Amino acid sequence: MGIFSYLRSTILSKVVMAVTGAILVLYLIIHTAGNLLIYFGRDTLNSYSAFLHSLGPILWIFRVVLIVSVVLHIITSIKLKFENWNAKPTGYALKHYLKARFSSRTMIWTGIMIFAFVLYHLLHFTFRVTNPQHYSAEFFQMHNAVSTVILERFDVYKMVVLGFKNPLISLVYIVGVIIVGFHLDHAIQSMFQTLGFNEKHYFPTLQNLSTILSIIIVICLISIPISIMSGLVGGEI
Amino acid sequence: MKVTLHIWRQKNAKAKGRFETYHLDDVIEDMSFLEMLDVLNERLILEGKEPVAFEHDCREGICGACSLTINGIPHGHEPATTTCQLHMRKFKDGDEIWIEPFRARAFPIIKDLVVDRSAFDRIIQAGGFISVNAGQAPEANSIIVPKDDAETAMDAAQCIGCGACVAACPNASAMLFVAAKVAHFAYLPQGQPERKRRVLAMVEQMQKEGFGNCTNFYECEAACPKQISVSFIALMNRDYLKATCSGEKHLLQTQQV
Repeated sequence: MGIFSYLRSTILSKVVMAVTGAILVLYLIIHTAGNLLIYFGRDTLNSYSAFLHSLGPILWIFRVVLIVSVVLHIITSIKLKFENWNAKPTGYALKHYLKARFSSRTMIWTGIMIFAFVLYHLLHFTFRVTNPQHYSAEFFQMHNAVSTVILERFDVYKMVVLGFKNPLISLVYIVGVIIVGFHLDHAIQSMFQTLGFNEKHYFPTLQNLSTILSIIIVICLISIPISIMSGLVGGEI
Repeated sequence: MKVTLHIWRQKNAKAKGRFETYHLDDVIEDMSFLEMLDVLNERLILEGKEPVAFEHDCREGICGACSLTINGIPHGHEPATTTCQLHMRKFKDGDEIWIEPFRARAFPIIKDLVVDRSAFDRIIQAGGFISVNAGQAPEANSIIVPKDDAETAMDAAQCIGCGACVAACPNASAMLFVAAKVAHFAYLPQGQPERKRRVLAMVEQMQKEGFGNCTNFYECEAACPKQISVSFIALMNRDYLKATCSGEKHLLQTQQV
């Protein structure tokens, strides 16, 4: 079993779900903040992207941590879900939920949909397979004390604007992000509970903050395709 | 008042169960839910039919024997109330009531509405002992317990082990029950010496019994007739992690008598 021996324990499995989930949520917050740079114009977004690419091996450390988190998160969730189905072979003819919310009852389904969405998202923007025509380099001038050089970098700004000018791509993205929001609504507060942070005097606040953070992330992300489609951003391309 | 009952009938553990419908016309609203079922059973016996098997003991809400999932909620829709303390005045004339056994693989059906909850007993046994001297009652102030800790321990100790948490949980997880049992010792000085091995042993036994995993739906807390808080599950998760990280072994075999 080796590294996967934690799967034998129900609580350790939950802890792995919580910790890998926390890493992914932190990544999503940074990713969202980075995306918002589009509102500061072409140069800001493209130089941020160039900065990320210049990190080289450090960028790969982040990527490996993310990939490992995603793999563990998925493997553990599938194992937990099968055990849970097995533990309740017969449901009730009439079931009345008291506290379980729509977001908490649909975690496995939103999770699967997010996986499909992220695959498409990576093919679109990271591997640039689905819309290669949107990708081009940008030439820009760099000045220093003695000379001016012309350098080349990814034109992320143009790629995003051209991508989101397509209503279908924007729609898929908006729906995908909203599904992410539902997943996070349950996930963030659940992470604290699993890791043992639940005292009656602060947990209700934590649950509300979890929902608020999910909504903020969703609004920030879907504002980008909406701004592009309405011409507020990227009208010049 | 009149009610229509849809009751799960199942001859034995192996038989295939089904719902049967009964109409009761002479229900008095001051009857408890179980008294209403008694009336039904009296009638079935007079008609020469098999009465409905259901569990009950103290009928005052403290023993944990009564069960029943009533209209999709363990112990019915009245919060913080066991089935025996649920009265027919909480229903309306002409109501249709669905009565099912507690559903979980770890709670196999014995007959009709009676399920085998001895998995809980084995979890309690796995928890083992606490180190206190037997004999004369000790001097009350020899071990000082802060008031808040005593209150919290008592909140956890309210658990009557009825299994409503498992029945309510879509995953049939027993985390709330086990957490309550772990927590009521964890908050007291008497519970400290065996604290780590207790949580490890009880969680391991819980898994062996085939209960599901906690997915933080909090249905258990909502259904619990004693309103045990899911914050005890967080405490158990913390204790379990600490015990695992410290490399504690739980000595499950030597604790069982």
